[in-house]
Amino acid sequence: MDIGTSKAGRRTLAVWFGILVLFLYAPLLVLVIFSFNDNNLPVFPLKGFTLDAYRQFAANPELKASILTSLKVASLSSLGAVILGLLASIVLVRRTVFARGVVSALLLSPLVVPYIALAIGLLVFFNETSVPLGIQTIVMGHIVVSIPYTILILVPRLERLDVRLEEAARDLGAGWWQTFRLITLPLVLPALVSAYIVAFVLSFDEIVIAYFVNGQTTTFPLYLFSQLRFPTLLPQILAVAVIVMAASTVILLAAEIGRRVLERRLGTDLETIGTAPGPGGAPEPASAAS
Amino acid sequence: MAVEAERIRPARPAGQPGRPRPGLVTTGLVAPPLLWLGILFLVPVVLIFLYSVNVFSFFPGQQAFTLDAWKDFLDGGPFMDLFWKSIRMALIVSVCAVVMAYPIAYFLALVASKRRYVLLLLILTPFLVSYFLRLLAWKVILGDQGVINTFFYWTGLRADGDAVSWLLYSQFAVILTLVYVWIPFVALPIFVSLDSLDRRLLEAASDLGASRWQAFRRVTLPLSLPGVIAAFIFVFIPTIGEYFTPLLVGGVSGTMFGNAIADQFGQSLNWLNGSVLSFFLLVVVGLLLALFARFLTVRRLATG
Repeated sequence: MDIGTSKAGRRTLAVWFGILVLFLYAPLLVLVIFSFNDNNLPVFPLKGFTLDAYRQFAANPELKASILTSLKVASLSSLGAVILGLLASIVLVRRTVFARGVVSALLLSPLVVPYIALAIGLLVFFNETSVPLGIQTIVMGHIVVSIPYTILILVPRLERLDVRLEEAARDLGAGWWQTFRLITLPLVLPALVSAYIVAFVLSFDEIVIAYFVNGQTTTFPLYLFSQLRFPTLLPQILAVAVIVMAASTVILLAAEIGRRVLERRLGTDLETIGTAPGPGGAPEPASAAS
Repeated sequence: MAVEAERIRPARPAGQPGRPRPGLVTTGLVAPPLLWLGILFLVPVVLIFLYSVNVFSFFPGQQAFTLDAWKDFLDGGPFMDLFWKSIRMALIVSVCAVVMAYPIAYFLALVASKRRYVLLLLILTPFLVSYFLRLLAWKVILGDQGVINTFFYWTGLRADGDAVSWLLYSQFAVILTLVYVWIPFVALPIFVSLDSLDRRLLEAASDLGASRWQAFRRVTLPLSLPGVIAAFIFVFIPTIGEYFTPLLVGGVSGTMFGNAIADQFGQSLNWLNGSVLSFFLLVVVGLLLALFARFLTVRRLATG
């Protein structure tokens, strides 16, 4: 028997869940439907099925260039963010650090500070230091906002790693670099990959910072934004939107599932040696079984 | 259980044998990320302040310390009004998002036993879709010639051209879109705190004669409050400075503080005023963060 919720309550909750799922997915569905609609404007009634928008998109060099720029920005900034995030996570989990609260607050603050304030700060900073605006400044800004996300992914993984594995390596004569390369790195690799992908998608999608420090560079979201003035281009934009939506969702879901599978495998391997709790071995609350 | 003993083991203190100069290693590790954020986040904040008192200026040769821009702003006026309007809108958005997402999180954590992670993924997936595209979707849906209105014309519910005009370019549109954008994000921390709830507490409450409603009000709700507050803050603060949502779906009546800042740095080319507005926003954010710091820990936010 469920003591927390009555039967009617459970039913009401399930209905509400259904309504919210509809609310969350309906707008996305609208994007998909109208990208296939045979009309230059996204209006009812639907006229017919066409792939014109997709063909036009494939033939648009500016659009492709902007996607390429965004891919460049995203791959560089997520690499930087993962490296810096890993260093910070190791310190937060494994070491005592002076003013720990302040350090972790600073590291996580870009999560909450409105992007407009970050973007303006960067604009003022680059203006004062005469750094030319362009891909490099967007990358620098995106690293700032991606670091906390990588930390949120890496810290839990590092916490679940058995310190004794590293200690054993050290006892057996491995230096800190060897320990890191041969023990820590392989064990956090799945989390690193998933942190990289999250940072990548974040950067690919980011528009506020890119808007203020882009110079003459046009990233993909900036291109979409600049095209909104021309309503007849809308179906094309919708087509791109659908492709990007599908691609990023598939990549992210695959990465998340892959990470869980990999970590579970790493976890069970270790458990058979009888040393460490893997994520799969994380204890369920005892009451869950009752 | 060995597993549990391991989990509650505290982080190893520095200075244990076998780790030479731990302080130095720690510094070496933490310096790059801290420097990065220091140079590209803290230094800019200081610069914004210096701009706001005109010690630095966009126009060379005009630097001279003055508090005039601050006085103008704090005396009240359109910018101050806009700030309070943004606070009000951010409050509505975050309260709506929490109220709508709480039952979802509750359902996932305490009712949907086996499939809850699949269902959670179902709720979270829209958050993975580009923010800009989700804005675009609402712009397409709400406009005078948008999906909803043309649907009305088509079905004859409304005469052709007689649009429900408050749907787009209004405060309503901004609030609706933001609530939509934030719901998955809000559901997550609430789910985490409800999921870790010890169900024996509910059994105990019921054994002691509490009704379900009493058990919820006295046990479940208070225990999930940290997650609720974390979620609330994580929506409320960024929303105060929201920029692109009002720009795309807000029109004139939906304009927010972030748009004023962008305008001062863009079209108006008044970096002095813009810096005052930006620094004020940063101070407000800083105060809110300090107030709620204990709810915003890695542990609270990360799910693994």
